[in-house]
Amino acid sequence: MFFYILWNFLVGYVIIRVEGLSLEKFINLTVSRGIYLWGIKRQNYTTLTARISIRGFKQLRGISHKIRCRIRIVDKRGLPFILYRYRRRKMLAVGMLVCLCIIYGLSSFVWTVDVEGTEEVDPRMVLAELESLGVKPGIFKPHIDNMLIENQLLVRIPELSWASLEIRGSRAILRVRESVLPPALVDRNTPCNIVAAKDGIIHKMIVLDGQAAVGPGQTVKKGQLLVSGIIEHPDTIGVRYVHSMGQIIARTWYQQTVELSLKEPYRQRTGRKAEIKYIGWDRFKIPYRKEEIPYTDYDLEVHKDGFFLTEIYHEAEEIQWNRNIGKMKAKLEEMAVEAVRKSMPKRAKIIDKKVKYDIIDSEKAIAVINIEALEDIAVQQSIETQ
Amino acid sequence: MRRKRLERMKSTVTDIFELPREIMMNLPKITMVGSNQMLVENHKGVIEYTPQRIRVNSSIGVIRVQGKDMNLKNIAADDIMITGEVKMIEFI
Repeated sequence: MFFYILWNFLVGYVIIRVEGLSLEKFINLTVSRGIYLWGIKRQNYTTLTARISIRGFKQLRGISHKIRCRIRIVDKRGLPFILYRYRRRKMLAVGMLVCLCIIYGLSSFVWTVDVEGTEEVDPRMVLAELESLGVKPGIFKPHIDNMLIENQLLVRIPELSWASLEIRGSRAILRVRESVLPPALVDRNTPCNIVAAKDGIIHKMIVLDGQAAVGPGQTVKKGQLLVSGIIEHPDTIGVRYVHSMGQIIARTWYQQTVELSLKEPYRQRTGRKAEIKYIGWDRFKIPYRKEEIPYTDYDLEVHKDGFFLTEIYHEAEEIQWNRNIGKMKAKLEEMAVEAVRKSMPKRAKIIDKKVKYDIIDSEKAIAVINIEALEDIAVQQSIETQ
Repeated sequence: MRRKRLERMKSTVTDIFELPREIMMNLPKITMVGSNQMLVENHKGVIEYTPQRIRVNSSIGVIRVQGKDMNLKNIAADDIMITGEVKMIEFI
């Protein structure tokens, strides 16, 4: 049915109104000449409307004479009539053609690159590698050699065990599977000592191999020998070299000073904003809706949705703001802990925390934080055997 | 007499070989969907057409269809599609 309607639209038809006395005769005669009629409606005794193809209508002339009826066109429908209306407008046709060409041309480029299946590996890193191999938005599709890129990618990123590049429409989809890397082998043959990575008080020692040189409760300095890899037996004179291993948990201290101004500069949006809308990609963007930006100070907000870029300029002003003392303390502590955390190994555990606050010149506040932590300070150091 | 015998033979042959009757014996074939679509194949012209009454000629006589708001949806050399509310079909 749908194709039937579409066909009629493409070929074009006319709605005719037939006036006469013997309309059945009209129908029979038309049909017997092989002209197809449809949608016949009898309006009243002497009139009838029907639909007929353009070619059929041209063949009707003889009939109207024969049976003395008047045939009039009520409506012309379909593509040929629409085209006829625009026959003089050549640029319209040219524009349509150009549009088709542009769509066809643009569809032979890759516009988005997606990575699927990454777990540990950062998809951005994979994307960057892909880009260096040439797969990036804007590349001409026939220039992509899937096999080559897949192989190159597997060579460049050893964490991947399988990759498949598929180009679907204007999208390039890279599916990857990560390989499970074997754990790093411990070389147990080279003898080594364990020394302290930093100052601290030994809390607990778990020595797996080697001779402990210090004991719990003892204060150690950075670089001090903790576990020796040289074992001398008192019974025999022989000396044995081992690869000492173990965990030396020690209390360590960290100190950090942070400061914060009492007055806080605060940016505030005034609520006025202007927008510029672009269509395009990176540098190739064309603004299609532009507003004037009269503000000297603004926050820029960029929204991206496929090819549509919207830049929103929010007018902003800076004001000085007196900080709340309670909130400031919390903020200072947070800042201090964060600063210490940066210099601390990740696995260290904070067991005690002391913060001192002070206000200098009624301008800024200072916090000094002392953190006591438990951490593994063992560092292996190979022994130079003569 | 001869003609009647020929007709009877045709009927037996169509029955035996299960051939479509409307073709072999030149009969009209009427197909209806519910009571609002009716297709008459193998007709021999429209005798009368008003929204209330349609008369179609065929090899076995006139088929009279009565109803309400009936239209001829399409009409070709050997079939007519009637749409609308069909109430009664008579063979006269």
